[in-house]
Amino acid sequence: MLVEFDVVRRAQQGDSAAFNDIVLAYRKRTMGTIGRLIARTEDVEDVAQEVFLRLYFSLDQLRTPEVFEPWLYRLTVNAAYDYLRKQRRRPEFRMADLSEQQVMMADAVAGSKVEKDERQQTKLRETVNALLGAISESDRVLLLMKEVEGLSLRELEKIYRVKENALKVRLFRARQRVLKACGAAERQNENG
Amino acid sequence: MYPIQGGDDKLDSLWRAYRAACPDREPSANFMPGLWQRIEARRSFSFSFERMVRGFVTATAALAIAIGVYVSLPSPTPALETSYLEALAEANTLDTPDNIGPVRLDWTEPRR
Repeated sequence: MLVEFDVVRRAQQGDSAAFNDIVLAYRKRTMGTIGRLIARTEDVEDVAQEVFLRLYFSLDQLRTPEVFEPWLYRLTVNAAYDYLRKQRRRPEFRMADLSEQQVMMADAVAGSKVEKDERQQTKLRETVNALLGAISESDRVLLLMKEVEGLSLRELEKIYRVKENALKVRLFRARQRVLKACGAAERQNENG
Repeated sequence: MYPIQGGDDKLDSLWRAYRAACPDREPSANFMPGLWQRIEARRSFSFSFERMVRGFVTATAALAIAIGVYVSLPSPTPALETSYLEALAEANTLDTPDNIGPVRLDWTEPRR
């Protein structure tokens, strides 16, 4: 726990300063998790604010401060899932949509080493995003929570309130689908 | 596309690379003010909604009471003072219906 149980208890009783302490302690980690789940850096802060907004209005439903962290993860997972679902309905704006002049400008700006690294990272994020397009948003979030966030099955069980075996099956299927998408991408790279 | 060569191990290394490419980020200076603004906006919305609902419930209750009082009050109109049977008898007195006389049956045999 990044804050004392007492701080959570005080926040539950409506203490704004205690709630502020919770946000200050967890915002960086929450933003990191959201960033990896949604893979869009520009919207991370907005989704993180949504998580803490939901936390503020649902703190009274928390039974004990001991389950605060799984509870916060649950809110994070739900907010990321809602965001991804909305994103799927919205047309995506990519480099391919830019005019030639805009692409030239973007290339010129991305000239230095730091920016090259940034471009490499963007490429990696896009690749993972494309591979995860082979599975549903809910499976994507679950898979990333396990593989990238490094949460154990027991922790996931608490967050999802689903039996460990059911989670194992879902994870296995999602991983298989991503592997299949990996293979397809590999073949495409070899051919083209 | 980022180069990937299949298999479980490669996928695991892809996850690791992805984790490294998306480190925990520092929030902007506007994070906390923005969050409190959203909280206040939601709170004032739910407060005004709650007030509206409460007003509606009060108005409905007042209307229900008013209707109850109106129905329970004795009516000054004479029509309501008479009972249903009395009203029925008054509307259908025995001498009024001319058309409901005794049935006349003709027993004479028809001529052939």
